[in-house]
Amino acid sequence: MIENFKINSSEIDKIKKISKEERNFRINNLNFFNEKGFPNKRQEDWKFSDLREIVQKNFKKLNVNKVNSKVKKINLIKDFDHNYIEVVNGELKSSNFKHEEKNKIKIKNFKNDNFLQESKDNPLICLNHALSDKGYHIEIEENYKFKKALIIYNLFTEDLKENILNSRNKIKIGKSSELHTIDLVINDSKYKFINNVYENIILENNAVYKNICIQNEKNDGYFHKFSKNKLASKSKYSSFIFPSGSKFNKLDLEFNLEGEDSECNLQSASFLNKDDHQEIKTKMNHLAPSCKSYQKVKNVLSSYGKGVYQGKIYVKDIAQKTNAYQLSKALLLSDNSEFNSKPELEIYADDVKCSHGATSGNVDEDSIYYLMTRGLNRKESVKLLIDGFLSEVVDMIKSNSIKKFVRSKLQGQIHGY
Amino acid sequence: MKNQNINTEQDYKYGFTTDIENIRAPKGLSEKTIKFISKIKKEPKWMLDWRLKAFNRLKNLKEPNWQKPKYPKINYQDLYYYSAPKSASEKPKSLDEVDPKLIETYKKLGIPLQEQKKLSGIAVDAVFDSVSVATTFKDELTKKGIIFCSISEAIREHPDLVKKYLGSVIPLTDHYFATLNSAVFTDGSFVYIPPKVRCPMELSTYFRINASETGQFERTLIIADKGSYVSYLEGCTAPMRDENQLHAANVELIALDDAEIKYSTVQNWYPGDKNGVGGIYNFVTKRGACRGKNSKISWTQVETGSAITWKYPSCILQGDNSVGEFYSIAITNNHQKADTGTKMIHLGKNTKSKIISKGISAGKADNTYRGLVDIGKKALNSRNYTQCDSLLMGNKCGAHTVPYIKNKNSSSVVEHEATTSKINEEQLFYCNQRGLNQEEAIGLIVNGFCKEVLQQLPMEFAVEAQKLVGISLEGSVG
Repeated sequence: MIENFKINSSEIDKIKKISKEERNFRINNLNFFNEKGFPNKRQEDWKFSDLREIVQKNFKKLNVNKVNSKVKKINLIKDFDHNYIEVVNGELKSSNFKHEEKNKIKIKNFKNDNFLQESKDNPLICLNHALSDKGYHIEIEENYKFKKALIIYNLFTEDLKENILNSRNKIKIGKSSELHTIDLVINDSKYKFINNVYENIILENNAVYKNICIQNEKNDGYFHKFSKNKLASKSKYSSFIFPSGSKFNKLDLEFNLEGEDSECNLQSASFLNKDDHQEIKTKMNHLAPSCKSYQKVKNVLSSYGKGVYQGKIYVKDIAQKTNAYQLSKALLLSDNSEFNSKPELEIYADDVKCSHGATSGNVDEDSIYYLMTRGLNRKESVKLLIDGFLSEVVDMIKSNSIKKFVRSKLQGQIHGY
Repeated sequence: MKNQNINTEQDYKYGFTTDIENIRAPKGLSEKTIKFISKIKKEPKWMLDWRLKAFNRLKNLKEPNWQKPKYPKINYQDLYYYSAPKSASEKPKSLDEVDPKLIETYKKLGIPLQEQKKLSGIAVDAVFDSVSVATTFKDELTKKGIIFCSISEAIREHPDLVKKYLGSVIPLTDHYFATLNSAVFTDGSFVYIPPKVRCPMELSTYFRINASETGQFERTLIIADKGSYVSYLEGCTAPMRDENQLHAANVELIALDDAEIKYSTVQNWYPGDKNGVGGIYNFVTKRGACRGKNSKISWTQVETGSAITWKYPSCILQGDNSVGEFYSIAITNNHQKADTGTKMIHLGKNTKSKIISKGISAGKADNTYRGLVDIGKKALNSRNYTQCDSLLMGNKCGAHTVPYIKNKNSSSVVEHEATTSKINEEQLFYCNQRGLNQEEAIGLIVNGFCKEVLQQLPMEFAVEAQKLVGISLEGSVG
């Protein structure tokens, strides 16, 4: 690995108040990262996204120093009432739960108490474990349903310059509770930086979690997020992801359906252009009987956009009556765009229904012709068709005000095409 | 020595051995062995040099380890790389000179070696262990200018063709097993169809591993010149032994302008017994190049045998408007493992490919479809359709699908779909109700499940394949 990207273990000493055990844990992870370096395409999970090459091409050195997180006032969304927390450069700054009962919610800075070594397959996770010292930790008590959605404003300040940020977040939802969150990314930095997040979401029995992730402004950020989600019996998880606009973005999502009758629903729509590189990788582990999972990933790609979808459904031998579905659709609008997919099934139980589909191609000429006969010009027709293609995902959002908000964001992108 | 036959129930009817005196190369993999093979085959110097080049290359290669089925390490020094019936050392001029024991073996296998079985109308090249023992219907084929002979003969008699095409699709420097084959290949078939000739009959090769502790390394080279057509069948069997035998073949197909090659395989190597002891390791490299415009290569395979099958018949679609097809049935039972699929590499404009794969796993078997569809930047207006269905019987087996799909231009369309399920209870009930017992009903449903692939097989093979499908699954339900 190139010396510039090695990280000195003195960085760990800068993290205050850590036990000996934690220090060892961090040093082990750091050594592992320094040995392996950024993952490259020789690793199966990174086959289509060679991060090492991307980092070497775009960064001269990496800055792990703490950044000054001065914030100006965040422009809150006025479209609908909501609770919010502010996260600046990965660090929890403030929270506001004015619509909820305060005693049901616990929120604090993340503090790691689990020093078991996780898989060593992903050096970025190791790097995160070695250096992360910030992030949020939310816990919801049992039997509490949120009245309004919680917006998480993820702000990146203009002080960031070739920085690498590591943060860890955790959300735990108690029995029969319900939480809706919206992740919003606001980027003020004009420089390149790397954001490396490790997220842990735990759903107890009957819990419901809905998440919408929006990130659509053009930015120079390089994002990597690993999310590990645990679903207990009869819990429901649904996630809508609308990522685009980043130089590099990899979402690595792992769902463990550990309780019977749990359900997971994942949908994504993105519009990638001008050198965007985006990968969504999912691992849906069906570990208990009668679970359901549904994945739909839609991508529109133009001028040098590159999209990747790697999805895996794993069904353990005891997970009978599993129903799992996976669909990836891509529209390639220009010849320099590229879409790679690897929809994988690994099944050890026989009484299951598992299927997947993957397509990629251009906008249907017949449809364009039809619209043109109705008086639209070619560009308008294409836009309308793209809008229809992506809106299918947006339409699945239940709340009208949120749906309207998401749609306006998406349409802004399509309009710019 | 572990070379006695196993006396288990006879569900593998090709499990007999033939007692024939063998000539063997010295044991182990070395330059000496390669020189021995080359000498006994009376090969010219260029061929020996080619083999040695591959052997040198092999020293730097490692066995691949990414594939799903894991196998115990193979000791390459403990194998015989050449084994031939003694009587075949001088190739017989007519069938009367062939060792009667050999003819009997092939009779047991049901191969129409005798020309009196002309009615069946298939020209056969039979490979016994390491040498080709007989090629039938030679005269009739020669009249049309078709060359159908063993590869050793082709090296001697048609060196220009061999030199030009051998290794042009699977280069010397390919992966471990392909390179191993290039170094030590012993025999195989060679087919050349001259321009504008439609081969009047199905050409066929039958492979049989007889001797123990041998690996079979055959090499097949088929060239279809401009505007020609050929349909080629390949069948394989081996005796039942409690040791694992290696079969690492290379098959190269070349289709020039407007030519079409149809390659069908019914692979029924010994799969090992119920506890997973013995069986063949079938590590085969098959690759076809559609070099010319409007050319077409179609692979059809029925994989029922082998302890481990690991092969990906591929098409490189270089010529504009060329077509690649892949139809596959892979059935695994007991402890068998199959990791099979295809690669469709689209390079030319308007190229089309179609993949239909049916996997059936029962017992404790693992069945994986692994495929690649790669549409290059210049492959405008290309099209791919992939369908892979898996059927599971019981909860101790596994079915996996690992497709890689790459699309690099906007005018091409790629479609992929896959499903995994078990046999529909309602269909079973319906069949039972009509008087079929459980096993017959499953046979019927599975044959229906595989129909799209079975239809692609030539008549003679289709019947055999249908029976095989039934036999392979016997005892898997209960």
